[in-house]
Amino acid sequence: MKNNEDFHELSYKEVVEKYPDVSPFVILKADIQRRTVTYTPEAVEAAARGGYQLQSRGIFTSIGRDGDFFPVSLMLRDGSSVFTSPVRTPREPYAADVVDGKKVIMDGGEIVDEVDFWYMPDYMGKTTSSGRPMWQVASARPQRMDIDPYSYCHFWDDGKGCRYCNMSSHFKKDALPARIDAQDVYETVREALKQDGRFCYIKLTAGSILSGEELFDDEVNMYIEILQAIGKNFRTRKFPSQMISSAFSLSQLERVYEQTGLMSYTSDIEVLNEEKFAWICPGKQLKVGYREWKKRIFDAVGIFGKGFVNSGIVGGVELAGPGGFGSEDEALRATLEEAEDFAVHGVSVVHCVWVPYPGSVFYGQRTPSLEYFVRLSKGLHDLRVRYDLDTDMDDYRRCGNHPDTDLARVFT
Amino acid sequence: MTAKFAENVMRMLEDERTVKVLTTVDSSGTPHSVVKNSLRSDEEGNIVCLELIESSRTNSNMTGSLWFGRKVSILLVGRDGSSLQIKGRPYKCVVAGPVFEAHYRETRKQLGNVDLGAVWIIAPDEIIDESFETRWREESDAHPLRKHLDRIRAE
Repeated sequence: MKNNEDFHELSYKEVVEKYPDVSPFVILKADIQRRTVTYTPEAVEAAARGGYQLQSRGIFTSIGRDGDFFPVSLMLRDGSSVFTSPVRTPREPYAADVVDGKKVIMDGGEIVDEVDFWYMPDYMGKTTSSGRPMWQVASARPQRMDIDPYSYCHFWDDGKGCRYCNMSSHFKKDALPARIDAQDVYETVREALKQDGRFCYIKLTAGSILSGEELFDDEVNMYIEILQAIGKNFRTRKFPSQMISSAFSLSQLERVYEQTGLMSYTSDIEVLNEEKFAWICPGKQLKVGYREWKKRIFDAVGIFGKGFVNSGIVGGVELAGPGGFGSEDEALRATLEEAEDFAVHGVSVVHCVWVPYPGSVFYGQRTPSLEYFVRLSKGLHDLRVRYDLDTDMDDYRRCGNHPDTDLARVFT
Repeated sequence: MTAKFAENVMRMLEDERTVKVLTTVDSSGTPHSVVKNSLRSDEEGNIVCLELIESSRTNSNMTGSLWFGRKVSILLVGRDGSSLQIKGRPYKCVVAGPVFEAHYRETRKQLGNVDLGAVWIIAPDEIIDESFETRWREESDAHPLRKHLDRIRAE
C-alpha cells in the first residue's frame, strides 16, 4: 500500500458509526488484528492465575519459548476469537488490561469492551510416550485443536516463498524438528478428547512440501499419515476436520478423502489477482500457476462437496507495495469480482487480516484502513449469501480468524 | 452487574414445572418465541440460557441482539398461573472455557447424546409481574375511567 500519511483513517468508533449494519464486534476484531495488541503485567498475571494459555507453538508464532509468557490470544463478549499477538506495526496497538477485576481491551487509555483469554486445555501439561510435550504437538484455540505437522515451507528453498509469510524464518528460530511424529499426534488427540466439551474441530496445516513423484506427493502422504493417526481416536469414519494445504491435484485429493477421516479442504489462493499472485507468491506461480491453483480448488468441490471447500486470502496484501493495487477501491473491486468467480464454482473465499510479521519480506509495511477490512468482510459475506454458501468449516467457532465469516452468525 | 432476583422470581426460575418462553427478534423486528426450560439464574443475577441448536433462529437473533443492543423477553408461567416477564439484553455468549464445559457436561447428563451450541448470559433490565390479579389491580388503580358502566350499576 502506498504510505500516504495525509490519508485520514476512520477510527474504530467512526467505522462503527458509518456501518451500523455491521457487527461492532466484527469491526473490533478486525481492528485488533490489524493494529495488534499488547498485554499489561496485570493482564499477564490475571491470565496466569486464571488457567489461561501462556504458551503455544505454531508454525507462524510461538509464545513462551524464550520465557516471554503472555496470553495466547483473546475472545470477545460475543464468543468470537481474535487471533493476534504483540507484533509491532506502524500503528498504535490495543492494550489488554485488568480494570476493576475485569479483563478489558483498551484503546488510547479508554476501555473498549470486556474480553477474555484462551483457556488452557487439560492435555497441555502432559507429554507423549516419546517424551514430547503435548503443547508442542497441538496448539489450542477456544474450540479448535491445531496440528501443524510440518513447520517449513519449501517454496523458500530457492527464495520464492510468499512475501507476506514468516513461516520459514520462524522455523529457523524455533529450533524444533520440522516434522511432528504421527504417534505423538495420536496420543495428544487421544488425551485432548478426554476433556468433554473442549474441542469441536481439528485443523491441520503445514508448509508446502514440493517433493515426491508428483509435485506435493510427499506433503499429501504426510497429511494422510497424520490424519489416519488422528482418526484412530474416533468411532466414526469421518470427523469434523479441516486441512489447509497446497493445491493438490484431483487424484491427490481423492487419495486424502478416501484414506482419511478429513471432512473439509482449504487451499489458500492468498491474493485474488493473477498478476499480484505472481508477484506476491512467486514459488506458487512458478510451480503451479494462479489459474491451475484456482482450478484445483474448484475441482475439490467435486470430492468434498459444496460448503466443504474454501480458499483463504491474506486480506489487504493486495495493497502491498510496490506491486500491489494503487487504491483501496481498486483492490476491493478486483478482489470481490474474482471472489465471485469462486462463489459461482461453490467455493467460499474467506479473509484473514494481513499483519506484516517480522521475518516476512513485507515486514514494516503499512496495512489498509479498518474501513477497507469492513468493506471486504461485508463483500465476501454478501457473496456467500447470494450464492448460498455455508461457512461452518471456517466460522467464528471452528476457526475465528476471519471477520467475514463471523457475519454469518446472524441470518439475513 | 445486576441485583439478585427477588425470592418469587428465583422460585419460578428454579421450579421445573414453570413454563419458560424466550422471545427474540430479528433485524426486521419479527419476533420468534421458543420454550426454553434451561433458563435459570446465575450467581451474579443474570439469566443463563442454554442453546443446543447452534444454527437456530434463536441463536441468530440472540447474536444480533448482542451485536446491536436489541432486547429479549422471557415469560415465566408458574404452575399456579402466576406469570412474570423479564426483559433483558444478551450480554455474553460463552462457547468455551470452564463455564461452557460445566453446562455441556450437565446438559449431556440430562438429555443424552446432544451437543451444546452456546451458553447465553442475559442481563435483566426489568421484571414485570404479569399475573392477572396484579395487572387487574394496577389497571383499576391507574385508570379509574376505563370500565363499563354496567359493572358499577346500582342493584
